Amino acid sequence: MSSRAVSYEQLAGISACLALALLAHLGSLPVWVLVTVAVSGGIRLLLARRGRTAPPRAVRLVIALLAGTLLFLQFRTFNGLAAGTALLALMAGLKLLETDTQRDIYVITLIIYFLSVAALLEGDSFWLLAYLIGVCWLTTATLLRLTSTLPAPDWRRSLTYAGRILSQALPLALVFWLFFPRFAGPLWHMPDDGGTAGSGLSDTMSPGDITELALSDEIAFRVRFATAPPPPQERYWRGPVMHNFDGHTWRRAKFTSMTAAALQPQGPAYRYTLSLEPHQHNWIFALDWPSHWDLPRAALTSDYTLVQPDPVSRPIDIAATSYTRVQSSDPLSTRMRQRDTELPPHGNPRTAQLAQTLRGEHPDDMDYVRAVLNLFTQQEFYYTLTPPKLAGDSVDKFLFETKRGFCEHYASAFAILMRAAGIPARVVTGYQGGALNRFADYWIVRQSDAHAWTEIWIDGHGWLRIDPTSAIAPSRVQHGLNDAVSADEPLGSRWHRRTPWLADARLRLDALRQLWRERILLFDQDSQQKLLEWLNIPEPDGQKLVMVLTVALTLVLTWLTWAVRREIDPVRKEPLLRAYSRLCAKLAGVGIPRLMHEGAEDYAARVAQRRPDLGPAVTALCRHYCILRYAAAPARISLGQFDAAVRAFRPSSKQRQHAGARADR
Amino acid sequence: MATLRQAATDKLRAWTARRHGRDSLPVTINRRRVYILPTRFGIMLAFMLTAMLIAGLNYNSNLGLAFAFLMVSIALVTMHHCNRNLLALQVDVTTEADAFAGGEAGFEFMLRNEANVDRRDVEIRCMNAAGMRSVLARSSESVRVAIPVPRRGVVRLDQFELRTRYPFGWFHAWTYVQASLTAYVAPSPKGDRALPAAGGTGSALRSETRGDEDFAGLRAYEPGVPLKHMAWKVLARGGEAAVRSYTSLAAQPEWLEWSSLAGQDTEARLSQLCLWVLESEAAQRVFGLRIPGREIPPARGPAHRFACLRALATYAIAEPR
Repeated sequence: MSSRAVSYEQLAGISACLALALLAHLGSLPVWVLVTVAVSGGIRLLLARRGRTAPPRAVRLVIALLAGTLLFLQFRTFNGLAAGTALLALMAGLKLLETDTQRDIYVITLIIYFLSVAALLEGDSFWLLAYLIGVCWLTTATLLRLTSTLPAPDWRRSLTYAGRILSQALPLALVFWLFFPRFAGPLWHMPDDGGTAGSGLSDTMSPGDITELALSDEIAFRVRFATAPPPPQERYWRGPVMHNFDGHTWRRAKFTSMTAAALQPQGPAYRYTLSLEPHQHNWIFALDWPSHWDLPRAALTSDYTLVQPDPVSRPIDIAATSYTRVQSSDPLSTRMRQRDTELPPHGNPRTAQLAQTLRGEHPDDMDYVRAVLNLFTQQEFYYTLTPPKLAGDSVDKFLFETKRGFCEHYASAFAILMRAAGIPARVVTGYQGGALNRFADYWIVRQSDAHAWTEIWIDGHGWLRIDPTSAIAPSRVQHGLNDAVSADEPLGSRWHRRTPWLADARLRLDALRQLWRERILLFDQDSQQKLLEWLNIPEPDGQKLVMVLTVALTLVLTWLTWAVRREIDPVRKEPLLRAYSRLCAKLAGVGIPRLMHEGAEDYAARVAQRRPDLGPAVTALCRHYCILRYAAAPARISLGQFDAAVRAFRPSSKQRQHAGARADR
Repeated sequence: MATLRQAATDKLRAWTARRHGRDSLPVTINRRRVYILPTRFGIMLAFMLTAMLIAGLNYNSNLGLAFAFLMVSIALVTMHHCNRNLLALQVDVTTEADAFAGGEAGFEFMLRNEANVDRRDVEIRCMNAAGMRSVLARSSESVRVAIPVPRRGVVRLDQFELRTRYPFGWFHAWTYVQASLTAYVAPSPKGDRALPAAGGTGSALRSETRGDEDFAGLRAYEPGVPLKHMAWKVLARGGEAAVRSYTSLAAQPEWLEWSSLAGQDTEARLSQLCLWVLESEAAQRVFGLRIPGREIPPARGPAHRFACLRALATYAIAEPR
C-alpha cells in the first residue's frame, strides 16, 4: 500500500508543509541549505507536473554527497542543534527530490515533525508554538490524504478529521506535560553552537557602547519584588565590572578570583525574583549588592559580579536577596589597589594635569570626589545621546573640549580622575532604574536602562558607589532616561511611550509574556512539586509524581476510549433512537431483551405476553415510537414527550419471578 | 524474519479461532476481537518520538517537550481511531463461490456501516487476495475479493481477515472472522470433442420438455426463469406473474457422459465435460450429466449449470462438511 506512486497533488502538499516548517528556521539555517531544499523541491514538482519520476539515482547520490560535504565544511560537525537542524533540512529536501512512493513521503513527514521540535528548542515564544502546532495539523491532514486509497476526502474533511485527532490529543499532551518528571540539568552536554552573539552589555566598554544600547527597547530582565522595591536612586543592577583602561576602552580583568570579601549590610534587605533573558554572557544581573541567590552554580567574583560557568543561553529565574547599602571593614589588598589605580603611562596629559591640581587643593579623598563632581556640575557639561566622536586622547577631548557625553563618558572620566589622584576606582556596568508594570506588579528593565557608574575605595568604608551621571542629570537616576534627555534626542520608539493607551497595551502584553515565561517556559521540578502540593499530595517526590502521571493518564485514556467509541454509536445524534434504545435497555433489565429481528410492535406484543402488567405501557410507548419514526402525518406526541415518558417508565422486576415461576410450572 | 512473522500470525489465527469459535454471518465486529500493532512506519515514528523527548529533556525546553508530548498523544489517539475504524462494522459474505481452475474465485463481501463516521480503507483479506473499500457513514459497500484458484477441487477457507491502517498508516488493526468460505473450482473448460448429439443414449421420442423455440402458452412464474420469457404484458394488466412457455424443437435431453470419453485421463475428461456443460447451456439445450457416482437429471438454467459444475468440481474429492 505504501509503495504506491505519489501524485503531483500529494507532492505539492508535502512540499508546502516542509516549506512552512522551514519557515520557523528562517533565521538560523544557512541560506544555501534553504536554497538547496527549495531547488530540489522545485525540480521534483516540475518533474511530477510533467508526469515524470524522480531523477536517476546517480544524480541524487552526487547531490547528496556534495551537500553533506558542504554542510560538514561549514559546521565542522553534524552534532549540535544548528548543524543537526541543517542536516535534517537538507535530508528532507533531498528526500523530496527522490520521492517516488508514498513511503518516501512518510519519511518527510517525520522530518517535518522533528524540524518543528528543533525550532522549539531554540525559540520560546507562544506564537512559535501556535504556528508549529498549525504546521503539525496541516502535515497530519496531508498524511491523511496519502493513506486514503479510494477517492481521497477533500481538504476540508481532512483538516476537520486531523483537527479532531489533534483536539483529542491535547488533554493527553497536557497531562504528560504537567506530570512527566523533569530533570534538573541536561542529560548530556551538547556542543555549544557558538554562533550566537551576545546581546546587551559586553565585557568591554568604549565611549558610545551604552549610547547604542539606549536606543534599544529590548528587555534585559524583569524583576518581581517580594519586599517593597528600593527607591529609584538605589535601583542599580550590577553587571560586569571593568578594571583595565588602555586610554580608550575599559575591560574586565582577565582573571578574577571567586572570593568576595564579606560585606556588612547597612539598610533593609530586598528580596526579589529576577527573570533574566538570555544574553549569551556568563554574568547574571542582580540588585547592587547581592548577598544570597538560589542558583547553585552561580558565584560572586571578587568585584561582586554574579557569574555562572556557562553563558546564559536560556531564560532563567533567580530568586535573590540584596542590600543597597553595604560597608566593608576589610582592607584592600595591595594587588587590587595597584590594579585599580593603574593608568596607561602615556596619553590624556591634560586630565592627569587636572587631577594633580585638584588633588593638591583637596588632600582628603571625599573632598576630592566632591570637587570632581562639582567640576561636572559647574562647567557646561551636557548629558546627551549624541555626543561628538572622540579620537586620540578621548578623555582629554571630552573633559576640555566637547563636554558632551553619555553615562559611559562620565563614568570613564571620573574613574580616571580618581585613579590619577591615587584613589582606587573601577567602572561598573549594568542597568539603572526600570519601569513598573502596574498591571502585573513587576519591573521591566530594558536595554535602554543600561548604565555605567563608578566605585571608589574609601578606607574604612570600602567600595563606594559614585554615579557621576547623577551629578550632570539627576533626573536620569530619578526618573529614567526618557526625562533626562531633551525632546529632540533620537530616543528609540519614544512616541509610543508618550501615548498612554499604547503604553498601557504594551505593558499588558508584556505582563502576558511574563506569565507565559513564568508558568510555561520555566516550568520545572519545583513547579511540579508545587503542583502536587496544590493537589494535596503530602511530601511530593519523584515517585509520587509518576504515580499521579499514571493515574491521570489512565483517566484521560479512559475518557479518550469513550469519546472515540461514542462517535461510532449509531444512536448518537438521533434522539429518537436513543430514547427507544433506552426503553429496550430497561426492558432487557427485567429479562426481556429485544431480539435482533424484532420490530417495535412485535416486541411490545411479546412483552405484553410475558409481563401483562407492563403490557399497556410498553404497547403505548412502542406505538408512539412507530408513529414518530415512520408516520408521515405529524404525531400527537412530540419527541421530547416520548423521551420523558421513556425516562419515567420504570418496569419493576417483581413480577419476573412470578412469570418465571409460571413458566416453570 | 518473514517466516517468524508467518509463524506468529498462524499461531494468532489458531488462537483466535479457538477463542471466538465459529461466527454466524453477518458478523458485527466487537472490540474484543480487534488486534492492533504499529506498522513499520509506526515503529519509525516511535523512534522519532523518543528522540524528540530526549532532545526536549536535554535542552530543558518546555516548548520542545510540549510539542513532543503532543505528538505522542496524537499517536495514542490515532491508535484508538485505527481500532475504531473496524469496530461495529457489519460484515456479510456469500459463503460459496464458483470458479474454473486457473481462474479466480470471487467472494462478494458486504460491509455495512451504521455509524455516523466514515470507515476508510477497510481491507478484506482471504488467503493472499485482498480488496479494499471505504464505507461512508451510514452506508454499505460491497467488496469483491478474488482468490486465484489454480487447480480443480474445493477450496475452503476457515476464516478471513479485516484490516485497516487508517488514519495515518502508523498502526495496523485487524480482526479475524471465523466463517467458512467455499469455492467450488470446476475444471478449466477445454477439449476437442464435439458436443454429443441429443438423445445419444436417451429416448428418441420427442418429449414435451420445455424449450424456447415454440410458444406453447403461459404457465405460472417460478424463480430461475430467464427474464426474457416473462409475460410482462400479463403482469402489467394486473394478472399473476406468468411465464411464456415454449417447447424446444430439439428438446430431447442430451446426456453428457463420462463413459463417452474413454481413453483420456480423469482431468482431461472432466475438462471436456465442463466445456460441454458450458456449450450446452449457451445453446439453451436440455442436458443431463452422468459421471461415476453421480447423475444429474436433464434440465437447464443457471441452477442446473451450477449443479453440474459443482459435480465436476467435487468429483473424486471429499465434499466439505
